[in-house]
Amino acid sequence: MQRSIRTAALTAILLVPLATADPADWRTLNSAQAAPSSTYRGTIRAINARTGTLELITGVGLSLRVVEITTARTTRILTASATPRLAELKPGDVVRAECRRTSAGLVADQIEKLKVGAP
Amino acid sequence: MTRPGVAVAILLFALGCKKPVQPGDPLSGLFEQQLDRFARGKIVFDSVFTPATGLGPLFNSVACGECHEKPAGGRGDEVEVHATAFRGGVCDALVQEGGPVIQRHAIPALKQALGIDSEPFPPSATARALRTSPVVFGRGLLDFVPDSVILAYADPDDKDHDGVRGRPNRFVDGRMGRFGRKAFVPTLREFNAGAFVAEMGVTDPAQPTEENIGGKPIPAGVDAVADPELSQEAFNLTDDFVRFLAPPTPLKVGQEGRRGRQLFSQIGCAACHRPTLRTGPRGMPALRNREFAAYTDLLLHDMGPDLADICLGQAGPADFRTEPLLDLRSAEHFLHDGRATTLEQAIELHGGEGSGARDRFKGLSATDRAAVVAFLKSL
Repeated sequence: MQRSIRTAALTAILLVPLATADPADWRTLNSAQAAPSSTYRGTIRAINARTGTLELITGVGLSLRVVEITTARTTRILTASATPRLAELKPGDVVRAECRRTSAGLVADQIEKLKVGAP
Repeated sequence: MTRPGVAVAILLFALGCKKPVQPGDPLSGLFEQQLDRFARGKIVFDSVFTPATGLGPLFNSVACGECHEKPAGGRGDEVEVHATAFRGGVCDALVQEGGPVIQRHAIPALKQALGIDSEPFPPSATARALRTSPVVFGRGLLDFVPDSVILAYADPDDKDHDGVRGRPNRFVDGRMGRFGRKAFVPTLREFNAGAFVAEMGVTDPAQPTEENIGGKPIPAGVDAVADPELSQEAFNLTDDFVRFLAPPTPLKVGQEGRRGRQLFSQIGCAACHRPTLRTGPRGMPALRNREFAAYTDLLLHDMGPDLADICLGQAGPADFRTEPLLDLRSAEHFLHDGRATTLEQAIELHGGEGSGARDRFKGLSATDRAAVVAFLKSL
C-alpha cells in the first residue's frame, strides 16, 4: 500500500510540471531553430542525384547558411510519389532532412519533401 | 450623488485619463518580473560590442541601440545595403556569397588579414537595396497575430477586383513570414537572433556560426571569441525587451485629424494598412487577445517598378510588406529606403497595388490631403 502511495506521489510530482506548463508557451513556440539537432529544414539550393549530395539553405532570420548533406544507399526519400527517388527533388523544394554527423560530414537518414502553402 | 455613483464617476474619470504610451514604453499588463526583464534587456540592447566581446569580423553596427535609438527601439538614421539575385523568377539570397545583408564595416583584425574594410559586394547580385532602420515598437504584438488572421486578408487573385492583392511570403523552410521589409522572417525571436549575427557579427545560440567573408572562410586568428558569442540569457533578455515594447498611443487629433482618419479609409489606404490587428488567445497575458493599432496586414503587395529593388524568398523585387504605421510622428524619412522626406511624397511614390489609393489621394483637395497627413502624423 505504502509503495503504491509512494509511486502515485512520485508520478504526480513528475507530471505536475507537464500539467501546469502552458502548452502555448511563447518561448517554446519559437525554439525549434535554437535546439541543437541534426534535423534541418530548408530550401534545396543545389542537388546532384548522381553523387547523392545536396545543399540546403537554412538559417535564422536574415542570417542564412548553406548546409551540405550527403545521402547514402540507406537514406529514405519521402515525396508524394509512389517510388520516391532523390532525382525527384529539385532546387527550390522545401525539405526536412534528418542527418547524422560522420567523419565525412552530414549524412541524411531521411529526406522528406514538405508541402508548402501556396504563395 | 450617492457614494457608489461617486466611485463610478471617479473610476470612469481615471479610465478616461489613462496615461498615453510613449515611444519606448513597455506594454501595459506586464508582470513585475517581466518589467525587470524589459529593463535588463534594454541594457543588452544598448550594449556596445567590441571585437573582444564578439563584434564582427563583419558588422553594420556595434549595438542594437545604435540603429534603433531615441528612445531604444526607435528608428535611426543609418541606411544599410542588401543584395540578392533574381533570375528566371527565382530568388537567390546569395548565401554562399555572404547572404542578403551587406556588412559595411570590418574589425581591425579582418582589415589586417584581408585588406578589406567592408563585406565585398556579392558578384552574383542582380540588385541592391537600401534599408532604413524601422522602429521596433509593437513587434511583440505583431508576432502574436495568428497566421489565419493575416491569411484572411490575402487576396492573391484579386477576387474582389479592388486592385489590391496581398499574399504572404515564405521563409526558406516554408513557414509563413511576417517580419522584415519583405515579410521573410516568420517570428520575432528569429528576426532578433538573426539580427545579432547579420548586423553585428555576434553569434548566438540560435545561429552559432559566423557568416563567411564573401564566400571565403574567416582567416585564422581573426575571430578569437568562441561561438556562440552571446549567451542564451543575454539573447532572451534582448528578445524580451523588444517583445515588450508597446506601440505608442496615437496622439489626440482634432477635427482635421479625424477627417484625415476617415479619408484614409475612404481612399483605400486601409485596404493594406489595416488600422487594427488582434493577437490570438495564446501566449502571455500582456500579449494575448489584444487589439492594437497596427496599420498593416503583414502581407506582400506589388508596389510597382519604381520602388522595386531586391527579391527575398517568394517576394519579387517589387513586392513589399505593408509597413506598420507606428510612431510616424517622429519619422523624418519614409518608405523602406528613406527616399521620401514627407508623408505626402511617400504616398505619391506608392505604385502597383497602391496606385489606386495614391491616385485617390492626389485627387483630394489640398485641405483633405493635409487632413490625411495630419492624421498620419498623429500615429
